Amino acid sequence: MSYVLAKSKDDAILKAGECGGAVTSIFKYLLDNGIVDGVLALRPEDDIYDGVPTLITNSEDLISTAGSYHCAPTMIGNIIQKYFSDKKVAVSVKPCDIRSIDELIKRHKIDPEKIYTVGLNCGGTVSPIVGRKMIDLFYDINPDDVVSEEIDKGQFIVELADGSEKGVKIHDLEKEGYGRRNNCQRCDVKIPRKANIACGNWGAEDGWTFIEINDDKGQELIDGAKKEGFIETKNPSEQSIEARSKVENIMIKMAKKVQNAKFGDAEAMDAWNRCIGCYACRDVCPICWCHENCELNKSYFKDDISTPPSPIAFQGVRLSHMSFSCIDCGQCDDVCPMDIPVSLIFDKLQKKYYDRTGYVAGVSDDIKPPLYSPDKVEL
Amino acid sequence: MSDEIKIVGLLCNWCCYGGADTAGTARMQYPPNVRIIRVMCSGRINPSMIFKAFEEGADGVFVGGCHIGDCHYDAGNYKWSRRAKIVQDIIEEFGIEKERFRYEWISASEGEKFQRTMEEFHKTLSKLGPLELD
Repeated sequence: MSYVLAKSKDDAILKAGECGGAVTSIFKYLLDNGIVDGVLALRPEDDIYDGVPTLITNSEDLISTAGSYHCAPTMIGNIIQKYFSDKKVAVSVKPCDIRSIDELIKRHKIDPEKIYTVGLNCGGTVSPIVGRKMIDLFYDINPDDVVSEEIDKGQFIVELADGSEKGVKIHDLEKEGYGRRNNCQRCDVKIPRKANIACGNWGAEDGWTFIEINDDKGQELIDGAKKEGFIETKNPSEQSIEARSKVENIMIKMAKKVQNAKFGDAEAMDAWNRCIGCYACRDVCPICWCHENCELNKSYFKDDISTPPSPIAFQGVRLSHMSFSCIDCGQCDDVCPMDIPVSLIFDKLQKKYYDRTGYVAGVSDDIKPPLYSPDKVEL
Repeated sequence: MSDEIKIVGLLCNWCCYGGADTAGTARMQYPPNVRIIRVMCSGRINPSMIFKAFEEGADGVFVGGCHIGDCHYDAGNYKWSRRAKIVQDIIEEFGIEKERFRYEWISASEGEKFQRTMEEFHKTLSKLGPLELD
């Protein structure tokens, strides 16, 4: 593991990209040299609140993916598993994305040899609807006028076409029920250390991207991109490294505080009774991959469809199948038509599992979750 | 009232079921509330089975397996023991007291342990009363 500061050598990317554009340049290097078949990255469609995962195969188009999109709570793991398992792809990943990829690798659904993962440090994402609403309410700005947004120094900052910026403290937004998604507020994995490299602006000098190189593949990536003239690099100062770990630690501390506050509520939760058994949470879950053979579809768990499912026989079964591998991506919260905070209880149980076994989903280096292990050990 | 308590007992073929048999042939008295389902190994029991039992109206679920190290299939009871912890964690979240779920290692010769366990479990459940899932 080593640190490096990097910056794009391409002026157009430098301008379009966030803090140095190193990520876009590294993707360009991979595509131009034929190392990968495509790059899977977020590209805004209608506006900045509409980031859509797109497979880019022409390096000219890469520029359209540059920049940060916090209002696009997407999930990459299951997309790769479903559609790109036979392709070589490079992909930009948030911590929850790489955790889902890691869990799917453990389940032999993704071949780690075939993917290049460029991690992005993540302080959290904002639901697009909440994002628009809070920009309207707290910023006095028409959400459609915003040309870019970023999260920096505890503030959610929006930029307008004329270059002016306005920031509001995330803490204040969240006190009012806006701000980051609930699962992001709880999330305590902020740097994707399982990705080949982890990039971000924490601790970086202006105009540079701070990169943590996590493995040999990541080192090759940086060396190659440098040799081919896509990026320039330099060593970060001691202060940068320290500043970065300070940002990370503050965020983790905040997340733990939210966890302690929220996990208590889960027990008394009667929200399960709202469940209508639509299976959306299962279908969207990146860890649940065996839909065709899902136990919930077995005749003995198929209740009369005109009655709502019993929570223990619906969510209980899902919990027992994968809660120990829950990566807290919050997709289930987002899709639930009855607004049940599904991820809260899954995340809580993964934390309980961690207390027992020390296994953190998508982070621990164990080959398998202990529940799948053939070892002769009790918990 | 305690007679209405329903216990589902999932017992492993090689040990605990033998234990229940031993208790029976020795005419040891234990509560008749337990409905025994014989399975080949505690390692084939899924958490879903426990949940299904509760959903279908069981007031308590008991699982019996071989002593650790004695599994007929080498490591089935280790697997079950890890699953059992997850079951405990999960049922709590759904408002089912964790005392309503119990698992124990009972060998085929331990008829007396089976009898004692059933009596204790029945007593615990009688105190808790019937399970009401909302």
